[in-house]
Amino acid sequence: MRDNTLKYLLVLPAVFVVFATAIWPLIESLRLSFTVGRLNRPGSLDQYLGWENFTWAFSQEPAFWNSVWVTAIYTVLTVALTTLFALGLAMLLAPGGKFRSGVQTLLILPFAMSPALIGVSFRFMFNPEFGLFDAFFGVMIPPLADVSWLADPVLAFAVCVMADVWGWIPFLTLVLIGGLASVPQDTIEAAQVDGASGWRVFKDVTLPQLAPVLAVVIILKSIFSLKTFDQIFMLTNGGPGTATQTLSHYIYFNGMKYGQIGYAASVAWLMVIPMIFLTYAYAKFVFRKD
Amino acid sequence: MTGKQKKQITSAIQTILILIAIFIMLVPILWIFMAAFKSHVDVYQLKLFFTPTFENFGLVFDAPYYLGDKLLNSTIIAFVTVLFAIPIATMAAYSFSRFRLRGETAMLVVILATQFVPAVVIILPFFVMFRDVGLLDTRLGLILVNLAIVMPFAIWMIKGFIDGIPMDTEEAAMVDGSSRIQVILNIVLPMAAPGLLTAGIFCFIIAWNEFLFALILTNKDAVTLPIGLALFKAEEGDLWNLLSAAGIIIMLPMFVLALIIRKYFVQGMTMGAVR
Repeated sequence: MRDNTLKYLLVLPAVFVVFATAIWPLIESLRLSFTVGRLNRPGSLDQYLGWENFTWAFSQEPAFWNSVWVTAIYTVLTVALTTLFALGLAMLLAPGGKFRSGVQTLLILPFAMSPALIGVSFRFMFNPEFGLFDAFFGVMIPPLADVSWLADPVLAFAVCVMADVWGWIPFLTLVLIGGLASVPQDTIEAAQVDGASGWRVFKDVTLPQLAPVLAVVIILKSIFSLKTFDQIFMLTNGGPGTATQTLSHYIYFNGMKYGQIGYAASVAWLMVIPMIFLTYAYAKFVFRKD
Repeated sequence: MTGKQKKQITSAIQTILILIAIFIMLVPILWIFMAAFKSHVDVYQLKLFFTPTFENFGLVFDAPYYLGDKLLNSTIIAFVTVLFAIPIATMAAYSFSRFRLRGETAMLVVILATQFVPAVVIILPFFVMFRDVGLLDTRLGLILVNLAIVMPFAIWMIKGFIDGIPMDTEEAAMVDGSSRIQVILNIVLPMAAPGLLTAGIFCFIIAWNEFLFALILTNKDAVTLPIGLALFKAEEGDLWNLLSAAGIIIMLPMFVLALIIRKYFVQGMTMGAVR
């Protein structure tokens, strides 16, 4: 067989799978978003409704706006905190740092943990009666003693952020260690010889060199933060009330619990839009080297 | 203060900070490990010292939980997902790596992008379709949707490995009269084998930990381990000792697998954006 034919035959199965498992559902979701789409009414999945699902979300659903805000604040906080802590930890472990390889091995562990399980373990640790963190914070910050963390809207949100940051710091740290390793050591040494302070070296030499890796990390983490579902579901299930209800959770509830699959699809598509921009930005970095 | 002293202090602070970081990282995991070996009495107390027991690991496999069924489901689903994904991904990755295809960049971008599509968007139409064709609560159904999440990783990862294999051996064999397919089977596959194994393990972990699809598509027969966690609830609340034992059963095999492929984790997750 000639290479010219073979090369297309080889990609055909993969293209088919990607089309069937990702492109088709995207298009079908878009179609569903313009229908009445009730799971318990058979014909309604083909019943055209126009833009009503979208206008309903924007004008009649405070819960939708709530989940938009929850997701936005959640994303900003988790991205910022995870990046900052990971950068700090990566700097500590960077070339010459102590225990580097041992810690790097340990860093893999939280990342291999299923997010659902992370949710469970944090719910456990913030249990008001026998939770470890609950006891810890109670001693460190007395006003927080005997507070039922997951029953308080703000604190429950804080616990969700903590669990997320805890789960993602290791991965981001590993990426940033890789990034730091590619910063030329002699440039740093030259700056140090010139008498630049540690902070100046970091700000003027390390940070600019690290910028592309940092950008990749921030984009990737933003994407995963926007999609957050598993942990929230296991940790607070969106509660108390809707205080920790992210967009994914809101879509799940409307589509699966209330059976409003058309409406859920329309909100899901609103979520796809920011993803397109983030993916575009990410693709630019992936293809940068070619 | 002399420069030497200053250096020593800095280094000490560094060590302390790293130790604190390790501690914070390990505490939730260790806490689960401890709880899994506590009796149902001890687990409701903040005890650090207790008489360890193995009874929880027996209980989770008994009635009414039957975690063994979920373990079997998770294993079969993750394994078959990988079994489908890796050969398909390898073929595509080879082609992307060695040839110029029309629309190649567009294809690669789309494959990359599918990884970022929220899982809730994908699952809504699949739920409707699976309901119509009777694939709800089946292993096959879950395997099919899992392909959606592992394929992009697999293709990008394997492409990275094949990119790193020099082409001269292949070219020499072609000059000697081997066909392209012989070259792929006899030269490229053996050389790429460690890479394929790495990608396979990576995809296995992803499929094993997958949550949302299983939550929506299964309710009894095809329930996987992460969904099985929801079983350990009684009227008086969560059964933390059993939850923890189940948690260990879920995470321990993944820890082992993750350690095997730890060098490639970053490359895999970032799909080559960071090497």
